[in-house]
Amino acid sequence: MTTVTDAEHDHKNITRRRFLTAATSAVGVVVGGMAVVPLIESMEPTAAALAASSTTVDLSPIEPGMQVTVPWQKKPVIIINRTPEMLASLKETMDKGILKDPLCKVPQQPPYCTNMYRSRIPEWYVGIRICNHLCCIPHYRPKKGSVAPWWLGGFHCPCHGSMYDLSCRVIQGSPAPHNMAVPEYEISTEKMSTTITHMYPKAHLC
Amino acid sequence: MSKYRYLCFLFVSMLVPTLAFGAGETVHWMTPHYTFNRTTVIAGARYFAAHCMACHSVSSLRYEYLTADLGMSKSEVMKDIMLPSGAAFKGTIDSPMPSDMAAKWLGKPPPDLSHMDRYLGSKFIYTYLLSFYWDPARPSGWNNYVFPMVAMPNILAPWGGTVGPKGQVIYPGKLSPAEYHKNVADVVAFLRYASDPSYFKRMALGPYVIGILLLFTILAYLLKTAYWLDLKKKGRHVDSRVKRS
Amino acid sequence: MSRFSVWVNQRLPLDETVKEHLTEYFAPKNFNILYYAGSLLLLMIVMQLISGFFLMAHYDPTSQGAFASVQGIMYDTNWGWLIRYMHVDGVSLIFILLYAHMFRGLLYGSHRTPRELVWIIGYVIYLLMMAEAFVGYVLPFGNLSYWAGEVITSIIHAVPIVGPSLTTLARGGPGVGTATLQRFLALHVVLFFLIILAAIVMHIVALHKVGSNNPDGIEIKKHKGADGKPLDGIPFHPYYTVKDLFGVGVFLTIFVTIIFYAPTMHGIFMERTTFLAANPMVSLPDVTPPWYLSPYYAMLRAVPNKYYGITIMITSVLLPFLLPWLDRNPVRSSRYRPVYKTMLIVAGISFITLAWVGEQPPLPKFFLIERVATALYLGFYILLPIISTIEPTRPVPERVTG
Repeated sequence: MTTVTDAEHDHKNITRRRFLTAATSAVGVVVGGMAVVPLIESMEPTAAALAASSTTVDLSPIEPGMQVTVPWQKKPVIIINRTPEMLASLKETMDKGILKDPLCKVPQQPPYCTNMYRSRIPEWYVGIRICNHLCCIPHYRPKKGSVAPWWLGGFHCPCHGSMYDLSCRVIQGSPAPHNMAVPEYEISTEKMSTTITHMYPKAHLC
Repeated sequence: MSKYRYLCFLFVSMLVPTLAFGAGETVHWMTPHYTFNRTTVIAGARYFAAHCMACHSVSSLRYEYLTADLGMSKSEVMKDIMLPSGAAFKGTIDSPMPSDMAAKWLGKPPPDLSHMDRYLGSKFIYTYLLSFYWDPARPSGWNNYVFPMVAMPNILAPWGGTVGPKGQVIYPGKLSPAEYHKNVADVVAFLRYASDPSYFKRMALGPYVIGILLLFTILAYLLKTAYWLDLKKKGRHVDSRVKRS
Repeated sequence: MSRFSVWVNQRLPLDETVKEHLTEYFAPKNFNILYYAGSLLLLMIVMQLISGFFLMAHYDPTSQGAFASVQGIMYDTNWGWLIRYMHVDGVSLIFILLYAHMFRGLLYGSHRTPRELVWIIGYVIYLLMMAEAFVGYVLPFGNLSYWAGEVITSIIHAVPIVGPSLTTLARGGPGVGTATLQRFLALHVVLFFLIILAAIVMHIVALHKVGSNNPDGIEIKKHKGADGKPLDGIPFHPYYTVKDLFGVGVFLTIFVTIIFYAPTMHGIFMERTTFLAANPMVSLPDVTPPWYLSPYYAMLRAVPNKYYGITIMITSVLLPFLLPWLDRNPVRSSRYRPVYKTMLIVAGISFITLAWVGEQPPLPKFFLIERVATALYLGFYILLPIISTIEPTRPVPERVTG
C-alpha cells in the first residue's frame, strides 16, 4: 500500500517539526550572537580614547637630579634625570644585597628596560609612581640618609612603609612584592622628549 | 502675530538659498565619473593630502583608518598622507593651519570637510571644484558659478587651467581636462569615504549578515508550514499540546 | 509539573499568563500579511531600547559636545555606525509599520465596538511615538536638529496665554541649547519611553480582553465547538508564534539590507542637513519635517491663515480618536463595504501625497496639490458618518473566509 495513514503522517510531521525547531533555534542563536558581539565591542575604549592614551613630555626643563610627575592615563608617571652619583647608588644597593629582585627578573618592565637602571637611557628613569603593595603614591626621597641611616636615595611609601631604590626596585623588608611598574615608552635625547605609549601588559601595577 | 511673522521669516529664510540655487538654472550639475573603490579613494586621499590638507581638515577621520579601511600600509600613510606637522598616526586628520590665522588670511576659516559629501552631495562638490573663474573684483581673484563670492581661491588652477567669467580659457592647465577631471573625481571619492567611513566594512559584511538571516527566514517558513499543516488537514485547529507531545 | 514550577506558580502566575496570552488565546485563523505589523512593532521597540542604550553610553548632551559625540559614535566607536543606523533607520521602519498597522485596523474595522479602547490606546501610542521621535531627532544636534527644535518649540508659543512660558519651559533657556538637550534626553529615554511601554501593555491587555478582529470583521466567538473554543480560532502559540517568526525573518532581512546598503535611504531616513553641526547663524536651505510627520506639516501649510492652519493640523491629528463612533455601519470589514473601501483608499493616497508634498519646498506650484489632498483626507472623516449610514453593503459570511 502506498497510502500513508494519518498516524504515520502525523508522526513524520512531528519529527519534521522537531528538526525544524532545533534548526531554527540554532540559526536564531547564531543571529543573536552576531548581534551581541558588536554591542559588547562598542563598549570598548573608542579610537579617540586610545589616541588620547599616549602622553608626550618635554624633557628639556628637567635638569640633572630633578624629577617631574606627570599624569598619564589617570596614573602618576615619574620622570627622573639621574646624576652620576644617583646612578652609582644603584650599583651600591645591589652590592649590599638588600634588594628583593636586583636583576629585575619579574617582568615589571618591558624587555628593553630589564637592566639595573630599569630604563632605555641610564640617566632617564620613566616609571609609574604607584607602590606595588596597595597602590599608594610613594614619597620621593633622593637624599642619602633621609629615611634611615643606610638610605641611599629612593622612594618611601607613606602607607605601609615600602622602600624602593632610585630605579624603583623594592628593598627587602618592604611589604611590596615586586619592583614598581615601568610602562612602554619611547625616548629621544635629540628631541628631549619622551612619549609614554601604553602599559606593559605583563607588569603588575599593584 | 509677531510670532507668526517670525515663523514665516524662518521658513522663508530657509527657502532663500534654495531659490538662489533654483534661480541659477544655468548651473549644469556634473556627475563625477569614478568607480567607488579603495584604489580610487586612496588616489583621492593622496591628492587631497598634497593639495587640500594644508587648509582643510577631515577631523572626524584618523590616519590609522586609512590602513584599516583602505588597506594602505602604515608607512605609506606616514609618507604620503601625513604632513610633517608632528601629527600622531592615531590622531585625527587636521590641517596644520591655525583657524584664527586662516580666518585672518581668507576671511573665514576653511571648513572641515569630514561630512561635506553627505551634506552637499558628490555632484555639488565635483561641479563646485570645476566651476572657478577668474574675477579680478574678488580679493582672492577667484569666483565660482556654483558658490558665488566664495572665499576659497582656485588652488588647482595650475593643473586645471584658468577660465574667465564667460568660460573662455585664459591659461590652459598643465594637465589635460580628462586627467584633471579624474583627479578631481578622486578627491570627491575620498570625501565620500570620509563622510561615510563604514562603507567598505558594510560592503564586506553585508552579504554574510543577509545570508544568515535568509537561512533563518527559510527555516522559519518551513517550520510555519509544518505547524499549519494541522489546519489544512482537519479544517480547524488541533490542540497543539496533544500534537506536540 | 515539577515541584519548582508549582512553587513558582503559586507565587507568580506564569503558566496562567502564558495560557491566557499565548497557548489559549484564540486568534482568528485568517490573518493576512497586514497582521505581521503588530508583532514586528513589538520587536522594533525592543531593538530601539537596545541600540538606544548603547548610543547613550557614548552620548554627550551638551550643545558643545553633542554633535561631536554622535560623530564619534560613527567614526571612533567600535560598530558605532551599525548601532546608530539601527536606531535611526529603526524609527522610519517603526512608522512604516505603525501606518500599516493603523491602516489594517481601519480596513477591517478593528477599531469598531467592542475594540474602541484598543484603537484609542493604540492611537495614543502613535502620538507618543511622534513626540518620542521628535525629541530624539533633536539629540544629535546637527543643524536640522537645531532648527527642528527651534521651530517646534516656537509652535508651542502659539498656545493662548501660557504659550511663551511653555516655550521657555520646553527649551530651558532663551534658545535651544545644553539645557534643551538634557531635558529632551531625559524625556526620550525615561518619561516618553516608559509611558509608551505602559501604553503598549495596555494595548495588548485590552486586545486580549475583547479578542482579535479579522479580515472579515466578524466575531469568531459566535461559533464555538463542543469544547467551547471558537471554531475559526487557533491558539496564538504555536501557530501565530511560528508564523510571526517567519515575519521577523523577512523583516530583519529587509532591515539589515537597508542598514548595510542604504542607511540614509537617499536622504529620506537621514536627511543631508543632519551632517552639518548645529549653527544658530546658518539657517537651512530646506527645512522639512521627517517623512512620517510631513503630512501634518503639509496640512498646516495648505491653509493660508495661521489660526485655521493650526486648527486644521490639530484637528487632523485628533480626528482618528473619533473613528469608532464616526463609522455607523453595522458591517465592520471593508471587504463587504465597497464604498467605504474606496473612501479609505482615497484617504490613504491623500495622506501619502501629503507626506510627499510636505517634503517639497513651499512653492506655489504645490499649493493646489496640498489643498486637494488635505480636503480629500479630511473629507473622509466628515463624510464617514453620513455615507456609512446609507452605503450599500455586501452580505457578510457567517464564518471566516480564506
